[in-house]
Amino acid sequence: MGKRTAIVLSSDDDDDNDNDFDFDFSVKPDLNRFNNPKSKSKSKSASVPRSNPKRSKKTRISSSSSNSRSRSHPGKNVNPFDEMKLFCEDFGEGFSGFKVSAGYRRDNKELWLDKYKPCSLVELAVHKKKVEEVKVWFEERICITKDEYCNHVLLITGQPGVGKSATVHTIASHLGAIIYEWNTPTPTIWQEHIHTTNAGLRYLSKLDEFENFVERIRKYGLIPSSLTEEVRKPFIVLIDDLPVINGKLSYGRLQRCLDLLVQSVRIPTVILMTDYGRSDAADYASKCWEELQTSLQKAGACKVAFNPITGNSIVKTLSRICREEKLKITADQIDVIAKTSGGDIRHAITSLQYFNLKSDLKPISKDATYSGKVSHKIDHLDDGYSLPFGRDETLSLFHALGKFLHNKRDTENLPSCDMDSVFLKEDFTRLPMKMDTPERVLGQAHGQARPIADFLQENVLDFLHEEAMDDAWVVASYLSDADTLLTSLNGVLSRNYEAENIIQSTAASVAVRGVMFGNRHPLSSRWHAIRRPLLWQVEQSLWRNKKEMVGERSIAAYNCVNLSELSTIAIEWRPALKWLGSRVSEYNSPRKGSIGGKMVDNNCNMERSNEPCDDDEDDEIEDW
Amino acid sequence: MLWVDKYRPKTLDKVLVHDDVAQNLKKLVTEQDCPHLLFYGPPGSGKKTLIMALLRQMFGPGAEKVKVENKNWKVDAGSRTIELELTTLSSTHHVELNPSDAGFQDRYIVQEIIKEMAKNRPIDTKGKKGFKVLVLNEVDKLSREAQHSLRRTMEKYSASCRLILCCNSSSKVTEAVRSRCLNMRINAPKEDQIVKVLEFIGKKEGLQLPPGFAARIAEKSGRSLRRAILSFETCRVQQYPFTNNQVISPMDWEEYISEIASDIMKEQSPKRLFQVRGKLYELLVNCIPPEVVLKRLLYELLKKLDSELKHEVCHWAAYYEHRMRLGQKAIFHIEAFVAKFMSIYKGFLIATFG
Repeated sequence: MGKRTAIVLSSDDDDDNDNDFDFDFSVKPDLNRFNNPKSKSKSKSASVPRSNPKRSKKTRISSSSSNSRSRSHPGKNVNPFDEMKLFCEDFGEGFSGFKVSAGYRRDNKELWLDKYKPCSLVELAVHKKKVEEVKVWFEERICITKDEYCNHVLLITGQPGVGKSATVHTIASHLGAIIYEWNTPTPTIWQEHIHTTNAGLRYLSKLDEFENFVERIRKYGLIPSSLTEEVRKPFIVLIDDLPVINGKLSYGRLQRCLDLLVQSVRIPTVILMTDYGRSDAADYASKCWEELQTSLQKAGACKVAFNPITGNSIVKTLSRICREEKLKITADQIDVIAKTSGGDIRHAITSLQYFNLKSDLKPISKDATYSGKVSHKIDHLDDGYSLPFGRDETLSLFHALGKFLHNKRDTENLPSCDMDSVFLKEDFTRLPMKMDTPERVLGQAHGQARPIADFLQENVLDFLHEEAMDDAWVVASYLSDADTLLTSLNGVLSRNYEAENIIQSTAASVAVRGVMFGNRHPLSSRWHAIRRPLLWQVEQSLWRNKKEMVGERSIAAYNCVNLSELSTIAIEWRPALKWLGSRVSEYNSPRKGSIGGKMVDNNCNMERSNEPCDDDEDDEIEDW
Repeated sequence: MLWVDKYRPKTLDKVLVHDDVAQNLKKLVTEQDCPHLLFYGPPGSGKKTLIMALLRQMFGPGAEKVKVENKNWKVDAGSRTIELELTTLSSTHHVELNPSDAGFQDRYIVQEIIKEMAKNRPIDTKGKKGFKVLVLNEVDKLSREAQHSLRRTMEKYSASCRLILCCNSSSKVTEAVRSRCLNMRINAPKEDQIVKVLEFIGKKEGLQLPPGFAARIAEKSGRSLRRAILSFETCRVQQYPFTNNQVISPMDWEEYISEIASDIMKEQSPKRLFQVRGKLYELLVNCIPPEVVLKRLLYELLKKLDSELKHEVCHWAAYYEHRMRLGQKAIFHIEAFVAKFMSIYKGFLIATFG
């Protein structure tokens, strides 16, 4: 039983008297999910729908004090949507969602995120059209008799923090619907797992639990207790987070399960899916999510994609909060916060609160200089890391490559060149760049030297002026330098990672700067598609051909007495055998056809070899 | 059987081209124990032929009964085991392999195979020749580490095995290895020697050779005997009886490179450079070594070039050839050379014709 503390700690960290806290009811948290509306009264005052019973008690106290303030707590509007989580009686209140974090002890330190949860459609920062779309969908499903629509599933996708859940909750409350929510249950901890297996309970994976849930929804719908008044209210099922899947098998299960859901569910169901950024696209899981989306759509689900929230709406929301909190934050600062948030309103609000915290600590006189600083920083916003808050700005690799290749230069601010202390010959001077230093851009794009060089080599010729042969040479020679640098440490026995890092970044910067320096007569910017390096493909086919040759050699096709070098085979044996076509057959009859026309044949070879790996290659582009 | 194999001299006595070398080898083997040997010379000069004949001289006809097999090697390298697959060609007395096929893991191959050979040392009834011969091809393509480990294993197991190393350029073999071997330089055969061989084959095949025909083939062959015989046979297939003005067709990749060269001469622009790159890729995909591509390209370009520019162009070709060896992706460097050439040539055209 000594293990118990670990669990309790991980689940509830501000509970002091946790020793008598029996965690056994956390075993199947999702059972609590569907439950008896009677317990509703208990959770009514919970400021956040998914809170722990003990916390909700505390919040009750805190919220009563916050009542005295001008604005009532949003959670307090006793909207049905706040009761989306109805707790099971016998297990006590739901133990499942722990989205609440510390900060409930004193009311002025409440999370603004929760405090300013949108409670009406007007307050939503999401684009109106999208909201309308979702709302209309709900209205159609709820108001019209059930069998008129064959699909009852709505799929909402979008980046984190664009207000997917908020929209659904707000609309539901607007329509007076009750939300039944599936949330991915808290993960089972190892000790917990051991404990439950000792207690004789079978372990259910999250996917199992989800399947059970879907099965129930599908077969029985929701069976409301007829005693309560909610019977007349419409229901909405909200699946906020699909269980994380790992591997083909569980992916198949999840997909089947969702397909069934889409086909047979009779209650309006909303599935929320979070799009992860491009940078994550490499891993297998996110690929699965994309596939799931398309398969859901195929099955008949209606999809609404949420875009990142626009800067203006964020600014609007933030200034509303400022007004209500009576903050002294300038419009400029709000602007900066909105810009750095990258369309993530959750992030923006947290930043605001954090920022507020900071300026609280400082005396007012300093505050003035501070804000001055910030406004100065606005000019350099592109720097990406100028702010005390906000996330680092990232660029996609293609964005960065575009910057390098287009090579935009300032043409107006010429005099500033003369300020340079070093006087360069005319040949070597270039107009100032219209961008950050290339190294910084590289850093933002997380560019590695090798792929950067490959991409530049593949694409740079498109961006050169038609007549500028000298430029092309300069560029090519710098790329050749970069390649040489990249290999210079290969084969060193004891790998020196530090040196390697330096070489890598040097090579990247040589490649990038070389391309920018060399391109003296950049074309006026027009639309260019950036191609994936053909070189990679060539290397693959080369490798395959080599293997094939080695294979042939071992059948002694070329020389029965000794082994020939591969290069000799390619240079001498193959062409000669081609000429001796008729006699080839007796040497290696299976390959007669492909020896036929060499160059032509290899064209096909290349194309053929591309087809099967096309998918992989496309993905490669995506994750760069 | 191809003529190249059919008329390959089987014994050291029958060697036509490097008969002096052959005689010395014979003396070496018959009179005393054979040291490690390093054969080096350009392709098509007869290194392999000499090695095969030498093995026969040492072990008798048994050395000719070879079998080709794909062997799997499991090498225990500290914390992990490396599995490698390699084609070997072996008789009871010798093993031949191309360790550079194993790529960057070549050093494991070298160590492991020599060790294994040393273990299964054949015991002769007479107590003589209790060693095996290991023929390693393309030693110059071995990595530096592999050459180092080759050196150590050479010393350690020298009692039980002899190494015959074979490569194109001895300069890429480390001094340490070179000094432990008897170096045999095999020159490319002279054109008249090639002519002699071709005439010999022609006589054996009962062919009528018009005068000067063999000389033309020899000239086209770039002093590679193998190539000369191959193209001789090709001509035979294409047209017989031979005529004096019969075209001796170049290899298809050579034709392709001369096409590239004329592309380059016709237009000098980034766009053209891009097209050239596509063609170069095609050559590379077909395993034509980039060095050969660059060399041939230079040759073709020089043919059409004003003599004034030749010096500069050669300089840059050499420069980028060096770069290519230092670097990893050959296309970067070949392309840089083509770009440089285009830029030089364009400048020249503008200067001369305005």
